[in-house]
Amino acid sequence: MIAGLGLVLGVLLGLILQPSVPVWLQPYLPIAVVAALDAVFGALRAFLDGIFDDKVFVVSFVSNVLIAGMIVYLGDQLGVGGQLSTGVIVVLGIRIFSNVAAIRRHLFHA
Amino acid sequence: MPADLPTADEPDRPDRPDGPVRQPPQPPPAAVMGLLNYITATSMDEDYAHVSRREGSRGNGRPGAPGRVALIVLAAFGILVATAALQTSRSADATRTSHDELVKQVLARKAQLADRRELVDGLTSEVRTLETESLDATVDGRAVQSRLDDVGVITGAEAARGPGVRIEVDDGPEEDAKAEVLDVDLQKMVNGLWLAGAEGISINGQRVTNLTAVRLASASITVNFARISPPYTVLAIGDPDTLASRFVETPGGQWWLDLQALYGVKFEIDSSEENLTLPAADRLELRYAHIPDDPESLP
Repeated sequence: MIAGLGLVLGVLLGLILQPSVPVWLQPYLPIAVVAALDAVFGALRAFLDGIFDDKVFVVSFVSNVLIAGMIVYLGDQLGVGGQLSTGVIVVLGIRIFSNVAAIRRHLFHA
Repeated sequence: MPADLPTADEPDRPDRPDGPVRQPPQPPPAAVMGLLNYITATSMDEDYAHVSRREGSRGNGRPGAPGRVALIVLAAFGILVATAALQTSRSADATRTSHDELVKQVLARKAQLADRRELVDGLTSEVRTLETESLDATVDGRAVQSRLDDVGVITGAEAARGPGVRIEVDDGPEEDAKAEVLDVDLQKMVNGLWLAGAEGISINGQRVTNLTAVRLASASITVNFARISPPYTVLAIGDPDTLASRFVETPGGQWWLDLQALYGVKFEIDSSEENLTLPAADRLELRYAHIPDDPESLP
């Protein structure tokens, strides 16, 4: 309940305020979103498992976003930014998929 | 790496019962599982289970309910998503705008080019008119004018009119790739016509001059760098009584009779043309050749 409220609030805030992203940060925004998505789905699964914890969620969210951004930044500096982004997306994608599968099992018992 | 290696909770192996055996520490699952299997198995952060175990053993807290911090983080997530979406659509707009801008520039330049071409054509014809007018004014000028006209007809700078032959050629049956008219065929025809005494030749409205190349460029034939397509109409001004018969005797004519007989290529000569008109060549610019300063010093 409170989670959905937060999500709606955030989207509305983003749409209303329309914060402008500095140019140097723009390449990392999509990957940060994917990393955050992974943290959110992990949290949802933990919530359904009954082992959700605020602190863990915050830490995993922030560290996911920062680490994903840092990996891509490092890749950009080394000249393999595109490939490293692909790697990060693949790993996070697999995690999201398997988390969503677990959530689905919880919700539909199937 | 196989994923089913021993895990931490497997009992000691029974085949070594004697004495305290020093077991090497079990490797962590990340080291023995395949990478993809490991990612799938630990898709949820292990910290949730870890913290839940610790809290549970301590017997306090109320795990499982998101609090105010989670609300803030989720709001941050919402802002992130909204910003990313806005950013993407905004940069898509920018990309489209710059694309449109480039297209507009290309069109503007094309229009400009067409205008300038028209200007060049207008000025050229004006120059010719003025040239003719000033030459016609004097007797010497008229002599120069008539010499200019003769030379113009020979070089292809002037349109030419006279009796001659019209040759219509076209590709043979479509299913036969060998029955296609090639640049070589037209080259042989043009050379045969010169040999037979033609004084001026055009192919599909392109005047053949001493600077003309007939060649194949990406599946179509170009004459004077202008693309032409079948059927090809070759006009040649010359003696109407002998031009056709002499042409058939030349290697070029023989070549075309062979093409007609072997591949069914269309090849029709009409020698009853009384009044052919050949257009002037578009461009006759000499960049390197010029009249020698001292003609007497020639060997």
